[in-house]
Amino acid sequence: MLLSFFIYLYPANAQEEVEIPSGPFVMGEGEEVLLDHYTIDRFEVTHLEFKTVFPSHVYSRGQERHPVSQITWEEAQAYCGALGKRLPRAAEWEKAARGADGREFPWGETRNRNKPHPSYSGMVKRVVGYNKKDISPYGVRDMASSVWEWTADEAEGKKVARGGVWNLHLDYEYSKTTDQIEVDPSQRFIFVGFRCVSSRP
Amino acid sequence: MRVFTTLSRRYFIRRILLGLAALGLPLLRPGTPHAALNFWRSSEYVGKTRDGRYKDFYIQYYKSFKRIDGDAWRLNVTGACENPQVLTLETLKAFPRKKQVSRLKCVECWSAKAEWEGFAMADLDALVRPRPEAVGLLFHCADSYIEYLPLEDLRHARTLWVHRMNGEPLSDEHGFPLRMIVPFKYGYKNPKAIVAVEYLSQADRGTWNRIGPYSVDGTILPGYDHPLDRGKQRRRISGGEIFD
Repeated sequence: MLLSFFIYLYPANAQEEVEIPSGPFVMGEGEEVLLDHYTIDRFEVTHLEFKTVFPSHVYSRGQERHPVSQITWEEAQAYCGALGKRLPRAAEWEKAARGADGREFPWGETRNRNKPHPSYSGMVKRVVGYNKKDISPYGVRDMASSVWEWTADEAEGKKVARGGVWNLHLDYEYSKTTDQIEVDPSQRFIFVGFRCVSSRP
Repeated sequence: MRVFTTLSRRYFIRRILLGLAALGLPLLRPGTPHAALNFWRSSEYVGKTRDGRYKDFYIQYYKSFKRIDGDAWRLNVTGACENPQVLTLETLKAFPRKKQVSRLKCVECWSAKAEWEGFAMADLDALVRPRPEAVGLLFHCADSYIEYLPLEDLRHARTLWVHRMNGEPLSDEHGFPLRMIVPFKYGYKNPKAIVAVEYLSQADRGTWNRIGPYSVDGTILPGYDHPLDRGKQRRRISGGEIFD
């Protein structure tokens, strides 16, 4: 009851947007890319936000502010479109994650060794923004962990996803800002969510 | 004297706990290398092995079990369905056949590829008619292993009920007479040597998830693969089914 009250008070679509200024940035291993000004969601889209556009969306109680996943690329694109936004291009995603200086991780150059979920194999979701270290130079959250994110780019006949998950089996944890995977856009995966961007002035 | 007794009790409790921890360690760290010999060869039992031909496709079982007699074997289908069944292997072999080549990736950091042959979930559904409240199947296996899979995953186009592998009947090691192939999930979500299935109206958990640090979902995550057919050379994967 109390939880429902607070959820009611929380504006479901009050997604904070972060300004990314126009200018060059280092993409990949060193290519300089120039982008115009855009804004990007500070957090990944949550279950609660997704439900405002797709009322039939179901999720478990207590996961209102977990990042939404198990959605196709088209559904992600439709959500952004309904709010007058779109999915980010891979370059836009990467600049928001690493800033202009070409850093390997959103927080700097060193891999975060503080394992969040040791001895566990599989997806672990938390509320968006849970990880206080996973913050990009522009203040964008969860770009090296949480869930992978759909982008507008294509590669190998699939859609490019950027980002990473909290925890894998033994050997990998926290993605670099340059990492990418290619995902069949019609598939739904527990590890793929998204955030939106806007080019509005 | 009282101090001595207390210390002794503490000492023995600590030793017992350490002993139990040591016993449990291989279960919690299944990647630990183990003996290469197949203890089960020429015996009436079958169990985990990496010996001989199985060095190219490792065999993992929860517990060893007596080899199954295909003539006596039956698949018991119960739970939230209109028409529960006790099915023979011959009945299942008569279902429309479907073949696919797919890679099985184990959460223990190896994978191997094979051609699998069997039938689709739709054929079992048509026979037993699951009730509307059914959400998944609980598998009971000959090695005392239990696994749960949601109907959505079982009805996926790449999920297969398998009774043949590489053009031959399944070997005991690979799950004779019936196993699941769910190529977008880690191996522990691909139950084998199935003896019974139960339609459930609420999601459940499986053995590995109950006793080890493995997720209920079991989807292959983006990360690395170590294919046995490529000398276990590490390669990046994007998650979900590995198609090559």
